Amino acid sequence: MTAPLIAFRQVSKVYGRGEATIRALDKIDLTIAQGEFVSIMGPSGSGKSTAMNIIGGLDLPSSGDYIFQGIPTSGFSRAQLTLLRRHMLGFVFQGFNLLARTSAVENVELPLVYRGMDHAERRRRAMAALEQVGLRGREGHTTQELSGGQQQRVAIARAIVTDPAVLLADEPTGNLDTKTSVEIMDLITSLNRENGITVIMVTHEEDIAAYARRLLRFVDGHLVSDEIQAREAAHVV
Amino acid sequence: MWFETAKLAWRAISRNMLRSFLTVLGVVIGVAAVIAMVTIGNGTTAKVRDELSRLGTNTLFVRPGQWGPGRASTEAKRFTDGDIAAIRDQVGGLRAVAPVNRGTATVIAGGANRSTSVIGTTADYLIAQDWELALGRDFSVTEDRGSQAACIIGETTRRELFGAADPVGQSIRVSNVACPVVGVLAVKGQSGMGDDQDDTVIMPLKLHQRRIGGTTTISSIVLSAQDGVSTAKVQADVESLLRERRRIAIGRDDDFTVNDMSQIAAAMTGTTMLLTGLLGAVAAVSLLVGGIGIMNIMLVSVTERTREIGIRLAIGALENQVLTQFLVEAVMLSIFGGVTGIVTGLALAYGVVGFLEVPFVASPTIIMLAFLFSAAIGMIFGYFPARRAAQLNPIDALRHE
Repeated sequence: MTAPLIAFRQVSKVYGRGEATIRALDKIDLTIAQGEFVSIMGPSGSGKSTAMNIIGGLDLPSSGDYIFQGIPTSGFSRAQLTLLRRHMLGFVFQGFNLLARTSAVENVELPLVYRGMDHAERRRRAMAALEQVGLRGREGHTTQELSGGQQQRVAIARAIVTDPAVLLADEPTGNLDTKTSVEIMDLITSLNRENGITVIMVTHEEDIAAYARRLLRFVDGHLVSDEIQAREAAHVV
Repeated sequence: MWFETAKLAWRAISRNMLRSFLTVLGVVIGVAAVIAMVTIGNGTTAKVRDELSRLGTNTLFVRPGQWGPGRASTEAKRFTDGDIAAIRDQVGGLRAVAPVNRGTATVIAGGANRSTSVIGTTADYLIAQDWELALGRDFSVTEDRGSQAACIIGETTRRELFGAADPVGQSIRVSNVACPVVGVLAVKGQSGMGDDQDDTVIMPLKLHQRRIGGTTTISSIVLSAQDGVSTAKVQADVESLLRERRRIAIGRDDDFTVNDMSQIAAAMTGTTMLLTGLLGAVAAVSLLVGGIGIMNIMLVSVTERTREIGIRLAIGALENQVLTQFLVEAVMLSIFGGVTGIVTGLALAYGVVGFLEVPFVASPTIIMLAFLFSAAIGMIFGYFPARRAAQLNPIDALRHE
């Protein structure tokens, strides 16, 4: 039996000490398989962002094990976590987080630069990724010259240009209007269905969460529900 | 990867050209000051050395007392006619031996008068000093003996007293001594100390002793060795002869000093080089201040770009890659400042050197040093901000507004 893509074993995250201790995650057990589309919901302070940070290798659990493709990451150094992000994960943020005054194609190339890939190959892959998110012809535009929806597409292209195992999306539509949100969610859904990229998305909007096949709800650091949603639900926006 | 890093650094610098320029202004000024100081100083040293060498390297000067770094005494006994005669008779390889007494006197010719330096010496003086006559002749034997007055005047004195007229055969009064002009010296120009060597009157020693100095002794001696004779040998011979004549016990220090021109040259160029070094050091302090300016702006830049750093870290930049990026940026900035400073400094020195009438001596060593030093400043003062950037927590950095 192959190991699940992502597994939490009794993962806890504690901030602060003594009286001021905050238990952001309390002994969470969770597995996510290759190819899943998972939404994580919960009120603020529920631990959903902490869980996302741990999955994304940006943070380490206080106790318990985060196992990625069968490899426990406890005791990973900063550099090892960086390499995990570099090779396995793609990030999409609420605020797009593109480099300002930098063209779309250069933004998309950025993760490849840190891999030491040569210029021509980088350019070729970045152009392919931009085409995949429907921004062909906009590669020369700088961040400021693109609309919010276009910027988020560039961010998605940047996340998938490295062929990651997991696409991590943190409130990907939080800064977008409804129409653009639908477009972005359709793009993410198609990347999941057609390209087989595992998608894990944090959101506080029910209709956005509905795009995912599986929905996790966090409250006060506990995983309170884990349910498979009807496929049809995703289309009733 | 290096090319990418350099490109990124250049983009960050050029994004705010004005600020980048102001950032490195400290380094520009520091480097320019060092380069200008040292270049001007080198020019001055070269000029002094050149002028001293024109005085002849086989010339020796004998003075009473001990002269040297930290000690200068004139207490010691002066020289006598017997010393001159003994040197002439007993030291081999000499071309000329001339006693020299110096004084200042008012010189009058017709309606013009002028205060000038008056040297009492013998005909050998011009030979020892390699000094040509432009007009007239040297002192005759009778004149040297002091029984007959005669004067040789320098070009400046001639111009001031006689204008365009030929002074040879005319009479001047030097401090109430009537004295016919027998010769005019060729132009020699400024000495290494900066005074006008042509502003002078030369008269026979005996006349000078009697009428100007009021003495029978001699204050210094100029010697010139024959070509091919070692001045060190002559110097040693003169020293042992004078020790004997002045009855200095074995083990006691000399109460006189024999210098050759190269020793005097070394002392003088040593002084100008020391001054150059000091000025350079003062200027180097401003380089340090410039480095602090770079650190300051790099820290501001790291804070401003916290979010960007967070993005880079999140998508897979290693700590070292971020560190390198900021370090390269700081070094590029400071090198940019260094090169601008070098060019500015050289231009400044070029202008000043023309004004001071000293040669333009650009030292490749100091230019190289200034370049490396400015790069090092970027490295040192850029390291702390760069490390701060590299060690940012990506979660916090991404949340930074």
